[in-house]
Amino acid sequence: MKGTKTGTFFVQGDEAIAEGAIAAGCRYFAGYPITPAQEIAEILAQRMPEVGGVCMQMEDELASIHSVGGASCAGFKAMTASSGPGISLKLEGLGWGIKNELPYVVVDIQRAGPSNGVATSVAQGDFYTVRYGSAGGNYALIALSPKSVQEAFDLTIECFNLAEIFRCPVFLLCDETVGHTREKLVIPDPSKIKIVERKKPTVPPEQFVLYPLDDDSVINYPFPSVGEGYSICVSPYTHTSKGYPSTEKVDQDKMARRLTNKIMKNVDKLTRVEKKYLEDAEVAVIAYGASARPALAAVETARGNGLKVGFLRPIIVWPFPDEEIYRVAERVNFILVPELNTDGQMVREVARAAKGKAEVYHLGSGGVETHLPDEIWREIRRLKK
Amino acid sequence: MTAMAKETPLVHPLVNQYLRPERMPHLACPGCGIGQVVHCTLNAVAELGLTPLNTVWVQGVGCSSRLSYALWKGDSIDAHHGRIFAVATGLKMCRPELNYILFTGDGDCASIGGNHFIHACRRNLDVVAIMFNNGIYGMTGGQVAPTTPLGASTTTTPHGNFEAPFDLCKVAEAAGASYVARWRAIDFKPLTHSIKKGIRIKGLAFIEVLLPCATNFGRYVLKTGDPGKVQKWINDRVVTLKKAESMSPEELKDKVLIGEFVDREQPGVVENYQSLLKRLKEV
Repeated sequence: MKGTKTGTFFVQGDEAIAEGAIAAGCRYFAGYPITPAQEIAEILAQRMPEVGGVCMQMEDELASIHSVGGASCAGFKAMTASSGPGISLKLEGLGWGIKNELPYVVVDIQRAGPSNGVATSVAQGDFYTVRYGSAGGNYALIALSPKSVQEAFDLTIECFNLAEIFRCPVFLLCDETVGHTREKLVIPDPSKIKIVERKKPTVPPEQFVLYPLDDDSVINYPFPSVGEGYSICVSPYTHTSKGYPSTEKVDQDKMARRLTNKIMKNVDKLTRVEKKYLEDAEVAVIAYGASARPALAAVETARGNGLKVGFLRPIIVWPFPDEEIYRVAERVNFILVPELNTDGQMVREVARAAKGKAEVYHLGSGGVETHLPDEIWREIRRLKK
Repeated sequence: MTAMAKETPLVHPLVNQYLRPERMPHLACPGCGIGQVVHCTLNAVAELGLTPLNTVWVQGVGCSSRLSYALWKGDSIDAHHGRIFAVATGLKMCRPELNYILFTGDGDCASIGGNHFIHACRRNLDVVAIMFNNGIYGMTGGQVAPTTPLGASTTTTPHGNFEAPFDLCKVAEAAGASYVARWRAIDFKPLTHSIKKGIRIKGLAFIEVLLPCATNFGRYVLKTGDPGKVQKWINDRVVTLKKAESMSPEELKDKVLIGEFVDREQPGVVENYQSLLKRLKEV
């Protein structure tokens, strides 16, 4: 039986995500064919049984995410992957995972939308969808976004670790460009990879509280699975700390605060950005995922031309790194946000976090191709005038 | 739905043995058959020696599920509306050694979860699925269901139902379930027998239970709040498989068959996947 891989490979982002999942200890994957995410399912269909795991092609996107929720209740690290139209459907099941504090990972390989759009091409239109798409609100969400094949691997592992630490679904917000780009991937020896295992209760069942509603910020909280004698209660209804349904305002309020605050009160543990050339910057370019690479190239062109331009890239995109953005806004004249949507998504968060300290501009596009570095460089020069 | 009177004593030993006393009184309306089906299930569980440790109850959304959720002393997993078979697939594929008893309704299973139901039968997922069929949406107050008779008046078919109902047992049979049966909630012995058989058999066991709902089906379709009259309406429509053999197609029109329709144990997705894993291990 083949185990986890170690070594240097030349692969695409989707494959790096699949191998990252296996390295993280994921042993249940369920998906539904969709471009540009199906390579993840194809690779895991091959690899999962090789490591003793389960890989299912379900009848639809809803079944995929709900079976992943079931697998999580069964004590397995689990993942599903999709793209725009599939993510829309998965959001229905995501609410069940969020509400019941189920650890699992959802991969979104963003493609050009709305609707089916251009299936085989890049875009960044799901920035708000993954954060706010599950109806009912009353939750916070964690999403990580890779810019390269290596990061696709590393951040997939990080998604699994954060899912266990925060006991919640975590998004890998990827895009078609990163998903389909082939480049070098180094998979370290398993002993060198930091893995967070599921924490199990240390107290007997009668003393165990399934949902720690009285401490809304507690993390690293145990989650027993079915068949372990803890008689877990998982449901779509507002729950008490035992998991029993409740219609009381006090219970709804406690649960809603718990689902929001366990993430937002620990935001210091969830801030990760890449920063370059910001020390003396008068202008900043802020971009994530596939847009970050041409953005950084444009910043370096500007530097080569003597312009004091800096660069910031949110790696954990949700919760949004408000503090980091504010500190940049304080010292620059304006911020440019290139992203692959026309409605302006991350740019709104940047403007909110900047609190009026700097002008914030959007360089949008409907997607299909990433911005060229030259387009971003031209926009910097135009705004500078 | 109205809660049972608080002073109702909890006397049945099965309740103390298998159910959570703090979840009583239950939520069933007077005359509802869900309590009877839970009783039959507990009898089957007791006779087979299943325990809260090795058995998981899985529910969907609706009367079927809201009434059985977190009753069982063991694990209780309640899915989103219609997603019960998807959740059960994840559970069973990961922890195949546990028994899973699914409680679903006609809205949950036949309507919003119809696709998942068909594919769970096709995979022949090794679980027992008990579908409570009251012919209407009870929890939300009497809307037409895909099991409501043609012409019936409901809150969303005030001029009469213009859609024909469909037969879930035939769907389960065509899709590949190992075991398919239909009984009334009052068919205590055969229903208990079917649940026992369903737990033991490999593959998906689908058991439909015809349930009297006086609160909504009685009120809107039959214009009565009397559970006895609703039960009589069911009794007048059902025909046992044996009796049906001597009846003409004309006589069987508008009748609902009860009995065991399918009993063909065959390997399902769980066994197939386990042998795939074994095969790969040997390579």
